[in-house]
Amino acid sequence: MERTANRAAAVAAFALAAAVPFFANNYIVDVGLTIITYAILGLGLNIVVGYAGLLDLGYAAFFAIGAYTTALLETLAGLSFWATLPASLGLAATSGVVIGYPTLRLRSDYLAIVTLGFGEIVRITATNLSITGGPNGIYGINPPSILGLEISSPRQIYELGMGFLLIVLLFAVRLSRSRLGRAWTSLREDESAAEAVGVPTLFVKLLAYVMGALIGGFGGSLFAARFGTIDPTGFTYLQSVTILIIVVLGGRGSIPGVILGAGLVAGLPEALRFLNIWRILGFAIALILLMLLRPQGLWPARPRRPPVPARDKARQVLPRMEAGGRGGEVLLEVRNLRKVFGGVTAVASVSFRVVRGEILSVIGPNGAGKTSVFNCLTGVTRPTSGTVSWLGRSIVGRAPHRVVHLGIARTFQGIRLFPELTAFENVLVGMDHRARASIAGQVLSLPRARREEDEHHGEAMAWLDFVGLAGRAGERAANLPYGDQRRLEIARALASRPRLLLLDEPAAGMNPTEKVALTRLIRAIRDLGVTVQLIEHDMMLVMGISDRIVVMDRGTVIAEGPPAAIQADQRVIDAYLGNEDDVADGDEGGAPLVAEAGA
Amino acid sequence: MVPTPITALGVALAVLTAAGPAAPPAFAASGTIKIGVPVPLSGSYASAGEDILNGAKLAAEHINANGGVLGKNIEIVAEDDACDAQSAVQAAQKLIDNGVVAVAGGYCSSAALPEVTPLRRAGIAYVLDASTNPKLTEMGYPNVLRVIGRDDEQGPFAADFMANFLNAKRAAVINDNTTYAKGLADATVKALKGYHVEVVYDNAITPGQMDYTPVLTRVSSLKPDVTYYTGYFSEAGLMVKEAKQINMPGRFMGGDATNSPVLLKTAGPAADGMLITTAPLAQFLSGAKGYVAEYEKQFHAPPGPYSVYEYDSIGVVAQAIKDAGSDKPSAIIEALHKIKDYNGLTGSITFNKNGDRTRAVYIVIEVKNDQFVPFARLNDNGKWELMKQ
Amino acid sequence: MDIFAQLLIQGLTIGSFYALVALGYTMVYGIIRLINFAHGDLFMVGAFVGWSVLTPLIGARLHWGLAVLAALAASTLFTGALGVFVDRAAYQPLLNAPRLSILITALGVSLALENSVLIIYGPGFSTYPHILSNAGFPIGAAHISWAQLGIIGSSLVLMLALYVFVHRTYVGTAMRALAVDQDAARLMGINVERVIQLTFFIGSALAAVAGVMEGVYYTQINFFMGFLLGLRAFTAAVLGGIGNIPGAMAGGILIGLLEAFFSGYLSSQWTDVFVFGILIAVLTVKPTGLFGERVVERM
Repeated sequence: MERTANRAAAVAAFALAAAVPFFANNYIVDVGLTIITYAILGLGLNIVVGYAGLLDLGYAAFFAIGAYTTALLETLAGLSFWATLPASLGLAATSGVVIGYPTLRLRSDYLAIVTLGFGEIVRITATNLSITGGPNGIYGINPPSILGLEISSPRQIYELGMGFLLIVLLFAVRLSRSRLGRAWTSLREDESAAEAVGVPTLFVKLLAYVMGALIGGFGGSLFAARFGTIDPTGFTYLQSVTILIIVVLGGRGSIPGVILGAGLVAGLPEALRFLNIWRILGFAIALILLMLLRPQGLWPARPRRPPVPARDKARQVLPRMEAGGRGGEVLLEVRNLRKVFGGVTAVASVSFRVVRGEILSVIGPNGAGKTSVFNCLTGVTRPTSGTVSWLGRSIVGRAPHRVVHLGIARTFQGIRLFPELTAFENVLVGMDHRARASIAGQVLSLPRARREEDEHHGEAMAWLDFVGLAGRAGERAANLPYGDQRRLEIARALASRPRLLLLDEPAAGMNPTEKVALTRLIRAIRDLGVTVQLIEHDMMLVMGISDRIVVMDRGTVIAEGPPAAIQADQRVIDAYLGNEDDVADGDEGGAPLVAEAGA
Repeated sequence: MVPTPITALGVALAVLTAAGPAAPPAFAASGTIKIGVPVPLSGSYASAGEDILNGAKLAAEHINANGGVLGKNIEIVAEDDACDAQSAVQAAQKLIDNGVVAVAGGYCSSAALPEVTPLRRAGIAYVLDASTNPKLTEMGYPNVLRVIGRDDEQGPFAADFMANFLNAKRAAVINDNTTYAKGLADATVKALKGYHVEVVYDNAITPGQMDYTPVLTRVSSLKPDVTYYTGYFSEAGLMVKEAKQINMPGRFMGGDATNSPVLLKTAGPAADGMLITTAPLAQFLSGAKGYVAEYEKQFHAPPGPYSVYEYDSIGVVAQAIKDAGSDKPSAIIEALHKIKDYNGLTGSITFNKNGDRTRAVYIVIEVKNDQFVPFARLNDNGKWELMKQ
Repeated sequence: MDIFAQLLIQGLTIGSFYALVALGYTMVYGIIRLINFAHGDLFMVGAFVGWSVLTPLIGARLHWGLAVLAALAASTLFTGALGVFVDRAAYQPLLNAPRLSILITALGVSLALENSVLIIYGPGFSTYPHILSNAGFPIGAAHISWAQLGIIGSSLVLMLALYVFVHRTYVGTAMRALAVDQDAARLMGINVERVIQLTFFIGSALAAVAGVMEGVYYTQINFFMGFLLGLRAFTAAVLGGIGNIPGAMAGGILIGLLEAFFSGYLSSQWTDVFVFGILIAVLTVKPTGLFGERVVERM
């Protein structure tokens, strides 16, 4: 109901805006056109800043590239406005890759200056070159025409601008609801976790730049058409900053917010013209006050949750990942793995195998190097030396998301869910890398993409059901109780349909009842055909479910074998009890090994 | 035919624009005759805008004191164009909606250019007082006229002076990569080559910096006989001072935008001997003595370089309204083109077919003891002569 | 004529200003992770306050050295206090808000400072009294003036003093502790608010020193003067590794030298492209700047 009402309100507002030229004078129409231009640019930058959470202080560069491409192709090659559009979009997108690629690894504040520098480089280049008309810019750009009708009066250009805005709006809305939108959200919430559940974070960031650049170029073409003349002073750093203000003031990630921000930033100084010399000061003070009063923006983004399918829509039969039981095949083989951080040797030399269908536990006192081994297996850190092979092929040096795509999924020692997403969405992020439909298909809502989406939604529900969370699918992950969060993380990892699941201390912090349920869950996972390797301190759990156990101490494997053999191993007992240095570690999680195991 | 989104949009537009009622132009029924003045009143060129606006106010005062035009008073309507394309379009539109019958003003060429479009569409005359970019009148719009010379007239004038008065063999030309300064620099370099003066340096600085000594050091090492800076006064003040610091060889010269008291204050004694090509300042115009005194009395500062041109811009517009006997914008445009030998403070004004002033006059002035004094001019035979100081 | 030595002196002079202003960016960033976009405008305010004090004193025929000291004192106190006020009024309330919100507030403060000065002092240029001569001594083919020497020397002394302060005193240690972990610092009994205020005060005061020096040396000031310098100083801070004090100094000097050598030997109009190009290249190879510490991401 509310959604329909919102949609009706949006359509009405848009229609009202489109009707402005019928009752307003030319001045209002011109201000309106400026607001439209800024709204388009704001929506573009919003993809970078709002959706993907990347700071960009040089967005005007894309605006410039679009404007110059249209202007140059029209004046030099004699193309029509419409014929220049694909070129201007293409060039803007390409430059999105150019700026994005080398900078993606940078932290956001460094990204700020690099994008700023890129914006300045584009502007100065346009000022210095003679083909772009130098500081004079380019003039005599013909207005576009539609069906032989020349669009040149402010009212006509206003309607053209509204048309452009509509396209950009639909694009932005659809994009935010596609799996790419979800990937951006996951990136914003927790980049390493996103990478670890299969989101190719660098590529996804790059796409944010590209999509933002596309819209910037689009806005630039409109700008060139509107003024018939462009020069470099329209594309300064201050222009980029203005667009950023629009996005943040309005509300990052919020489409109505960005439009409101554009209205304020372009309209307020006009409304304050009566203040004369005081007008920019008035604007500045208003800006500060608004940010102080509404730090989240004037119209903060209200995340639109995908509707949770009814529970019976859950596909009853979960995919069986491989015929289990056919033991003996080596999935993963680690040989002489070594990892040194600075001068600290976290892993000295570790070798072990994971065999299909087993449950393998890695135990050892704190600081033994267990998590470091996991990080080396999943591509989070690169081993200093040694080999890790998956089905006989080395996977050293692969990015974590690639490792996930190969079939190794993981959970974290400290829970790393996407707290603002619902449980359902968390699982969807885990599945998205398996989607076959193109992003374009999702944006255009093609039948094939819709069908796939329905299937995925059903499967996501099935995974939630599998871990016992189907009833809480629509809740924010951050609101779930601790034990549920653990299980949600497992569901999210399973959603990538792994062949090997790595669980890092899954029982940490659980009460005995929850531990019993967890034990059952791990067995059920194995019964699905997923091999499980876990790091765990709870010896009862470890001894109860493991087929084999690897014991680590001080970066080396000190024992390996079935639970009974491990319990009897003197080196293991020494490692846990005998050595004074390690006594302190015992109370962290390393429960008295023998006593508990024997109970 | 299946309607694609674009054709659908086209149809929608056609319907809209056909049905849309045009906003009624809001001409003042009685009372005053409004003349619009778009100038930068915010941002870094606000001081220049203020000065131009003052000139307009004085002109309106004088005209109104003498009975106004067509029995009505002139009213000046100022709008801030902020030297920025978007603001400029909106300022122009605001003036149109406000019912101005003509527009006289402008400062930055980069704002004046986009202003032309809405004014042309509304059929309103735009008399430029300070924008010297040739493009403005070359677009061929009859509503654009100007009372000041063009960059491509000043450039050859400056080159002639360097070659034939200073006998320079080597010249350096520096601009600041703004529309105006680059235009003037290009025109100068081209003309210098015609006089076989070697241009040893032709590059741009970044305005807003403080220290230009690295560029000047480079220029010094090229041993120019004259260095011509075509940008604005604030950087020029710093540069002439810094040139002294590094003992730069040759004369330092500036274009007409360097001509401002700020240059004298910034550079102090270091500016002594600097030469500037300029349209004659109010201070050197025999007809403008009273104007300078009155300006100083009213605004407590000496007039800047362009206020007197704005004064004349308002003056020719008023004259055109009188000649036309009507305040209809189209009649004003027609009458403006017919104006002959209007006796302005800056000399006699007649427009050529482009709308440019015929016989734009330039002179060279010199900085001497913290003052601008007349230095040299071309006489009617095309020979250089020193001017009386 | 070889111009290398001359360009070197000029680059060091320019770089001194960048370095002093870059310190403010880096200190504030180090402590509250904010790119203080208003910092360049504090430099500008410092120049104007100095002008307001210096001009009448020189007019009253006070010895120029004393007059400059008085201007420096007034300007550092006022600008330092203004920096603290800006922090209290506009940044502190937003410390727990999304970081972009506070960034936008900083942009708002920047606009507000510029336009306040525009309203008070007018849109034009103000001029410092001419008190420095070009006297100096030759170094090879080059000439260095006492004024240039004074600028380079005093900024080096200030930077050194700051370094010692931050690394050798209790308060300085508290600042560094805060930069690492604010909550932990609070638990250790550090008065976090006071340390943040002190950081803003020192950063702003350094900008004010740069502002007054700029006024005395170049004589021309304007409400917009903080923009370009602020941008370059920010670039310098990032190049050195933002948050890192020696990095800001080195970055500032380096940007000054690059600017001087590139515009002196190659092409002035491409200088900024070149400087930003270098910056991007450096960050691509060393993502945290020349002196920035590696940030360890914990899984």
